[in-house]
Amino acid sequence: MEAYSGSPRSGWKKWLLNRFVLVPAVILAIAGAWDLYASTHADGLVVGQVLDAQGRPVEGADVTLWVFSFTTFAENRSVKTGADGSFRITGNPSHHIQLSAVKPGIGSSQRIPIRLYFRSQNTTLAAPLVLSGRG
Amino acid sequence: MMRRSPTWPIHLALIAVCFVMLVPFYWVLKTSVSGENIFTFPPSIIPRNPHLFYYVDVWYAIPFARYFLNSVIVSAITIAANVVFNAMAGYALTREFRGKGFILILFLSCMMVPFQATIIPAYLITGQLGLLNSYVGLALPQFSTIICIFVFKASFDAIPGSLIDAAKVDGLPEWRIVWTIMLPLAKSAMATNVILSFIWSWNNFLWPLIMTRTPEMQTLPLGLARFLSYQEDTTGALYAFCIMVLAPGILLFLLAQKEFIQGLTSGATKG
Repeated sequence: MEAYSGSPRSGWKKWLLNRFVLVPAVILAIAGAWDLYASTHADGLVVGQVLDAQGRPVEGADVTLWVFSFTTFAENRSVKTGADGSFRITGNPSHHIQLSAVKPGIGSSQRIPIRLYFRSQNTTLAAPLVLSGRG
Repeated sequence: MMRRSPTWPIHLALIAVCFVMLVPFYWVLKTSVSGENIFTFPPSIIPRNPHLFYYVDVWYAIPFARYFLNSVIVSAITIAANVVFNAMAGYALTREFRGKGFILILFLSCMMVPFQATIIPAYLITGQLGLLNSYVGLALPQFSTIICIFVFKASFDAIPGSLIDAAKVDGLPEWRIVWTIMLPLAKSAMATNVILSFIWSWNNFLWPLIMTRTPEMQTLPLGLARFLSYQEDTTGALYAFCIMVLAPGILLFLLAQKEFIQGLTSGATKG
């Protein structure tokens, strides 16, 4: 009956080194790496800058975070910009947000939509929020 | 010397057929990364501003990971049961016994009865077994499929009877003959069983709809229906969901397509 048992030495290579094992293993490895990346970059940090129409930093502007809620965007939190016009929002809970800025006397910005690859992904705005018109 | 006819017309025709078959898949993929409505005019072949955010929307709109896990577990149970039960049934049908012709006719005639006609008895039996709203209950009606039994039978028929006789002389019991002799020689039939049972289980909608009682036990097709009931403007996200549901089946087919084709065609020719 041993004749039907097969060679134990080549058995593990045959079972492990084939496309039915390697392809799912690679997919799992990629998923694991992505999960690791997401878990270490999900502090809910949104960083950016507010400028006026002339391109000068605006201090004390109110920057508001809008979070997608089922069908509409709801206001989530606000922060004020620093002397260099920069702002830093912490605790963004979503992957689909909008940002707006306003400063009375200078103007307001349009709401800028931001899409993220996972919830609370840390992000830095590629372009500043620009205030225009009267706020 | 006989002159060979050119093969390019056949290749051209095959490319045209491939194009027709693949266009719907491409269109779904394109819409899932661009969100362009199907009624957009003029239609664009290349997606404009492609991105992956619709996939992110799907992931968070419903408990996708949970549905995916449920579908994987149910499919794994279905595949394992199919390979075991269908191999046993296929092996039995290669042997000679009284009433074999009647069993074959019974099997063939049962193939004509749609599952919708037997769903109430299936539900009652599953309920009496206490398997409603469970993974085993979700897989139970697809534990064995007649088409796959015949795939195994065709493959086993092609194995010389002398091999089985030799194994019997060596004292192997029947189950070991199936496990150590027949199945290793019927890998293509096994691949066909795996792919077919996976796709049928993965795409099954009606049975999970009827027998699951909690959202935690629902599978991906039910998740798709739930997703549609949530969202109004789903053009991009809906197509992204379809891709996410289709991808595992396509991947499995691509991995095992050689064995799958062999399994379907084995026994089709003699000699």
